[in-house]
Amino acid sequence: MSNKPTKLSRRTVLTTTGVAATTGLAGCSGGSDDSDGSGDGGDGGANELELLHAWSSGDGNAAIAALIEGFQEEHPDVEFAEEPVDGAARSNLDQVVLNKLQANDPPSTFQLWPGKNLAKFDGAYEDIEDDVWTDDLKENYLAGPQEQAQYNGSYVSVPLNIHRINNLFYNTAVLDEAGVDPTSLSSASDVVSACETIAAETDAVPFAHQTSGTWSTVQLWETILLGQAGIDGYESFINGNGDAEQVQTALESVVELSEYYPSDSSSITFTEANTMVMDGDAAFIHQGDWAAGAYSNEDGFNYGEDWGQVTYPGTSGSYLLNMDSFPYMANNPSPEATRQFLSYCGTAEGQVLFNAEKGSIPPRSDADVSALNQFQQDQYEDFNAADNQPPSVEHGLAVSPAVKTNISDAFSSFLENYDAAATADALTGAFN
Amino acid sequence: MRNPLTVLKRRLSEHREVRTDGGTTSAGSILDRDSVRSAPFWLPPFLLIGLFIYGAIAWNIVLSLTDFQGLGTPDYSALDFENYVVAFFGGTPSWSELTVSPIWNSAWNTVVLMVSFSVVCLALGLVLAILVDQEIRFENTFRTIYLLPMSLSFVVTAKFWLYMYNVETGLVNLFLGAVGVGPIEIVQNPDLKLAAVAFALIWQFSGYAMIVYLAGLRAIPTSHFEAARVDGASTVRMYWRVIIPQLRTATVSALVVLTVFSLKAFDFLFSMYGGYQPGPSADILATRMVREAYSNGNWAYGSAIAVILFIMALAIVTPYIYSQYKRGEL
Repeated sequence: MSNKPTKLSRRTVLTTTGVAATTGLAGCSGGSDDSDGSGDGGDGGANELELLHAWSSGDGNAAIAALIEGFQEEHPDVEFAEEPVDGAARSNLDQVVLNKLQANDPPSTFQLWPGKNLAKFDGAYEDIEDDVWTDDLKENYLAGPQEQAQYNGSYVSVPLNIHRINNLFYNTAVLDEAGVDPTSLSSASDVVSACETIAAETDAVPFAHQTSGTWSTVQLWETILLGQAGIDGYESFINGNGDAEQVQTALESVVELSEYYPSDSSSITFTEANTMVMDGDAAFIHQGDWAAGAYSNEDGFNYGEDWGQVTYPGTSGSYLLNMDSFPYMANNPSPEATRQFLSYCGTAEGQVLFNAEKGSIPPRSDADVSALNQFQQDQYEDFNAADNQPPSVEHGLAVSPAVKTNISDAFSSFLENYDAAATADALTGAFN
Repeated sequence: MRNPLTVLKRRLSEHREVRTDGGTTSAGSILDRDSVRSAPFWLPPFLLIGLFIYGAIAWNIVLSLTDFQGLGTPDYSALDFENYVVAFFGGTPSWSELTVSPIWNSAWNTVVLMVSFSVVCLALGLVLAILVDQEIRFENTFRTIYLLPMSLSFVVTAKFWLYMYNVETGLVNLFLGAVGVGPIEIVQNPDLKLAAVAFALIWQFSGYAMIVYLAGLRAIPTSHFEAARVDGASTVRMYWRVIIPQLRTATVSALVVLTVFSLKAFDFLFSMYGGYQPGPSADILATRMVREAYSNGNWAYGSAIAVILFIMALAIVTPYIYSQYKRGEL
């Protein structure tokens, strides 16, 4: 064996490696080739629908499974590449989708809070007014949810469910013991005086709340603001023209309520706070109606008997919205199947299947809700009778993502010092 | 049977000898150099690390000079230092309609956390190492106990300390109550937040510092201890003048790792405060960076914060590395 062949083979190895590397790099950048086609290009036969969501467990998982099952009964040819992305309240999901979009590999659709939150994926959607948002949908969605489904005036997503933020849940036994009638409360300050009575009459914590994260307090403040400033004041705020005085008054009400939080509110989570109500260790909790999901799963803790819900005092006539929706992504990997699926999500039938498991209510006003539980039916009645359906700040519907971050920043500081004046400045300044 | 590699090696060396003597410069001469011949072994890792670590750092630096925001692709044609100006002085950058606040608060918190955590961890680790080194009984058990917290993830320790700091049921407050203090609100107390985070991290990582120091102590010959004793040095003096100066290498390697861990405190804060919002008195550059990048989609500004964080880490580690290099200990 001479020296020469060895060298040659080494060179061959290098050449081969080089070619392989070049091919690999080309493969990496290859994804951008079809970026300019706006998606409708004949992805012939690509009937696999890539659906990303954060409902990886519990009621959410059962709900999405029921929805997909219902859809596949009508469209057995559509396959799902369904992918639950773990992470609380879908913050992780957004990152996964952003990374996929950066890599030019959009999913067919994914779980997304609509409204101003749509700005997060600006330019990644496609208008579905002609194909999905038929007259049937436009007639049967109330104005509030319908507005939230649009981005810059065009319909890009289909709301699937509605959660309500302005609830006050209570443990009946504790309120009876304190002699407080929840239906008699009519303003935020009534809640504070009720808490005072409960603190005096019982051993229970008057107002269960968690303060380790900011989200519960933002929800509470926006609900109180809606009650005190009215729908006009609330809408002025979310449009960036908020009245600093109204904002501050609402914050002061939160400070008053904070006297009645559990003393370890900073070390507990929402689940623990909610359990306090279920165990009779706390009287009230302000939360979205997902709190009721835990009550329904608890044996011997029944709606109407052991727990109840009133519209947060002061906000009657409003249904403060949080929604999940499915947007239609441009450059869609499965255009036809995605449209079929989104159309199905817009039907009353699909929404009832989903919401029966999820504990929220259908956004369509013509759904047959007899399959839902009594609490959901009552909420649905409230929803259809509501004068207005304003979007929630905390859940990103009402303000753009950057403003939302500023608001959360302001509240992270508020939780440290409860300084209403400084926080009011920060909140009205969040839009500048 | 002769190993074919040995045969090949001999032939190659023979060939080289002849060539050197003859002074010829054939095309194969470069290929025959040691560095080239060993390339299959060092080149792949070199390229991979170069691309994925140093390449990524370089790309991040370039990215921080763009105005990249939201979806789409960054525009590399107009590079400027706007993001750094905004980071240091605040203001309304060209890529945003909103005012962006400067990073001083989170930068200061980062420095405080990094310094207090590393220094206390090293000191505590050294004390523990010296104690465990006294040929005590159950030495292995103690070592394991001290090291064990490090095997837990930040998520576990954050949830655990959230419980420890609980005003009503937490052990910290029960202990304070027993000595007549408190109960004290810790988790959302602006004066104690950062200290509480640092304390939890010290609890988790002082065991690691102990192990590194213990290895260093074991490497020091017994004769040094004996010589100091014979010269009549007290125990404190012996450690201070003879032993600790020999632990420089251990200190540096522990410090580098601890600094990195303090930068990773992001995981801890994320779990403890349920998101990117630990509040102004515990906000560090890492949480601020993720907020800018992932909540707001301000990729370029997030990159700029990452670069500042990187430079801070370098500023702390470099002097030590350099002094070690000067002494020839690296």
